[in-house]
Amino acid sequence: MTSSEPVTQFQKMAAQAGSHLVRCLDAVALADYIARHAGGTILFPSFPSGRRINLVELLRGQGCEVVTDHFRSAAPLAAAGVTGANFALADTGTVVLDSTEEPLRLASTFPERHFVLLDPRKILPDGLAAVGLLRALHRRRSPDFIAFITGPSRTADIERVLTIGVHGPRELHILLLEGLSDDPLES
Amino acid sequence: MPKQRARRYRRRIATALAAPRLQDALHRFGDAYLAARERAFAGLDFESLRREIVALKDEVGRDRPGYLAEFIRNAEAAGAQVFQAADARSANEYIRDLALRRGARLAVKSKSMASEEIRLNAALEGAGISVVETDLGEWIVQLAGQRPSHMVMPAIHMFRDEVAALFGQVTGRAEPPEIEHLVRVARRQLRQAFLEADLGISGANLAVAETGAVALVTNEGNARLVATLPPVHVILVGIDKLVPTLDDAARVLRVLPRSATAQALTSYVTWIRGPVPGGEGARELHIVLLDNGRSALADTPECRDALRCLKCGACANVCPVYQTIGGHVFGHNYIGAIGTVLTASFNGLEQAAEMVKACIGCRACVAVCPAGIDLEEIILHLRGRLGRAEGIGLAKSLVFRRVLRNRRLFHLLLRSAARLQKPVTRGGASIRHLPLYFSSLTEWRTLPAIAERPLRDLIPDQDEQLRAPRLRVALFGGCATDFVFPEIGLSLVKVLNHLGVAVSYPREQNCCGIPALYAGDPATATDLARQNVKALLADNPDAVITTCPTCTAALRKHFVDLLREDPDWAPAAERLAALTVDASVFIAGQINGEIDWPISPGDGVVTYHDSCHFKRSCGVWRQPRELLTAAGWRLAEMPRSDRCCGFGGSYSLTGHPEISREIAKDKINDIIRSGASTVATDCPGCLIMLRGALEKRGLKIRAAHTIELLAETLAGDAD
Repeated sequence: MTSSEPVTQFQKMAAQAGSHLVRCLDAVALADYIARHAGGTILFPSFPSGRRINLVELLRGQGCEVVTDHFRSAAPLAAAGVTGANFALADTGTVVLDSTEEPLRLASTFPERHFVLLDPRKILPDGLAAVGLLRALHRRRSPDFIAFITGPSRTADIERVLTIGVHGPRELHILLLEGLSDDPLES
Repeated sequence: MPKQRARRYRRRIATALAAPRLQDALHRFGDAYLAARERAFAGLDFESLRREIVALKDEVGRDRPGYLAEFIRNAEAAGAQVFQAADARSANEYIRDLALRRGARLAVKSKSMASEEIRLNAALEGAGISVVETDLGEWIVQLAGQRPSHMVMPAIHMFRDEVAALFGQVTGRAEPPEIEHLVRVARRQLRQAFLEADLGISGANLAVAETGAVALVTNEGNARLVATLPPVHVILVGIDKLVPTLDDAARVLRVLPRSATAQALTSYVTWIRGPVPGGEGARELHIVLLDNGRSALADTPECRDALRCLKCGACANVCPVYQTIGGHVFGHNYIGAIGTVLTASFNGLEQAAEMVKACIGCRACVAVCPAGIDLEEIILHLRGRLGRAEGIGLAKSLVFRRVLRNRRLFHLLLRSAARLQKPVTRGGASIRHLPLYFSSLTEWRTLPAIAERPLRDLIPDQDEQLRAPRLRVALFGGCATDFVFPEIGLSLVKVLNHLGVAVSYPREQNCCGIPALYAGDPATATDLARQNVKALLADNPDAVITTCPTCTAALRKHFVDLLREDPDWAPAAERLAALTVDASVFIAGQINGEIDWPISPGDGVVTYHDSCHFKRSCGVWRQPRELLTAAGWRLAEMPRSDRCCGFGGSYSLTGHPEISREIAKDKINDIIRSGASTVATDCPGCLIMLRGALEKRGLKIRAAHTIELLAETLAGDAD
């Protein structure tokens, strides 16, 4: 059952939070979008939905420079990071990513651009609905580093003027594609 | 020495007041916050949300050791090393020793108020470890050598050109004062620190007992880098951040960002359990659970609700005193109302004394606190403790104990003052200029004259009022209505008589005692409570009407609290409380839409000022507006109608008149913005302030009590 309501609300709230949201026709279109917006080297950690659509090959096929190991040394020079998402929250436009593995953390925190692959079937209504999943993620094994990401990094510390892009990514691109994954315990 | 301390504090206040840029920053911030907060909570039931927070925080309070043990167990099972720091010293020692053992030269920090509390940076730097703040606001104040002036926005008091100058010192270049550019500079400069640091130190917003995880609620992304890049991560978290379950954590998250920064959710909420994998060598996570006075606070019944605090900063954002003097003056490690309470608890009453006295008691904080903490009540309790510890001053002591408690003497002095004041009132209703030493009191407002004849002399007997009244009520005038504005009392009699209600004025009634209570003399307040309970119940009235909401709060709440332990008086106090009702509420109840409000419609446009105690102690704001509208007035709301007028009782005379002045100025400006020719209020105290400030500025706007305006629309004789 694809309920369109959470998706619509998610799109609206994600946009309000400053995210770029794209509904992709297929994996090729998704790769094309990333290729056009990456602006440089792409950090690409290994994650199930990415593997499922062979995204690394697709991106390299588009002429992108894709880094798949030695992330620590590559991170300072990368322009973009690509990850999946475990699930998402519609009421705040939030994507949730279990980023315990360091490559995932580096890809989602260091470069200026973060591209997130999200299957719209994994969009939940709100944070309270997500507690069960959060609990399941916590119980699997430790350690855990689970990130709720709502838009790009921001600050209003100087004169209360909102500025997008501080230490975290300056741009958050959420790419919706059905068929990526139906399991909220994987990204 | 209290006197020297007070003098020093006044100098700091004066410095803050004389900094127009600070004033500008604080005002813009405060005004913007109110609007943003309203949008953030739109469509949500704030009362219900905060009841949930109260419930979950109090649940932790019920068994803090148990939840602490559960958290530690789960955190350790996930591989974290947990250290319970009893105080600042042991927390600093642990972190410092850890850093030295690991050979750490550089530490990067994300925002942690707990680290400010224990002065962690100084402890580390003393051991030769460099500490770099990475939160933008924290880095700015670090470079400036200052302390943060707000919990959530540490550099709210600084401007872009100051920041540009600071950053220029770091980069060695002239940096343009453009905010986007400055943020880029910070990103570039601090990147290297993230990569090179040996140690990452962060705070945490939540510690979840169920899972042993902490949650960091952030926007900038620096906390994530601090938690992810250095090989050792230290999380310093107060034990008050504990919540029982993930569901409870989700409840806090629904409220915290909306209250703190008016966001539905921050850019990042990061759940960290155990040390993250990565890099070379073993990664470490150390969780330092900080007590530093929190358990002791839990054992203090009057103050323990403060442990519910989510550290959102809303209480400071809405505080008129904070908006006037800022967080460096109205704050210590923590700022605003919660800062006052925590400073008293963690650093001692003496350290908090001036902040306690600087609170004007407007309860704006109580209205917005998402954790349901009655901050003003706690501060009032601290005033009592301060009064016992330091005394309240000889003059006040004499006035309260020798004069106020002795009704006949008190009233005799007032009557004498009415005669002796002629040289300064010149027969008028207000004092425009006081001479010499007292001249500062009338520099920016006029003071009311004492009425030539008090209300108690003027009010007609009940039998003269009505032959066969439906109801007989007693009027508790309060000092202001009795001796300064008797016309309010006479207006009330006129209106009530019209409704078939006769009014008696029990002559034994005395001051409600609030001035003594707020000055830290609960003993006098208790004595006055007994006097008034006896006087008002003597003739068995159907109701007791008040024309001052501060008096209402006294009769309905404070008398009951003060006499609770006295079995001879407690039941009577409860009876009086049950009988007491504000004039506007009573009239609105009597009218009930049935009686045709007669004759001449009100003249022109009126704006309504919500007195602090009326709206936020008595919970009344609709009835006066309904009455005025029913009487034919056109109501034009002013912006921030419920923001304090600056009176605060003796605050505006002897406490902090310099702060009152600024608050009153803001209120007058808002009244002007309404475009109304009249401002109505239900509090004689507010009336003194508003009339005083309006008159001194030569403005033609009239300030009047709601009851006066109602009486004017009634045909027939006045008094």
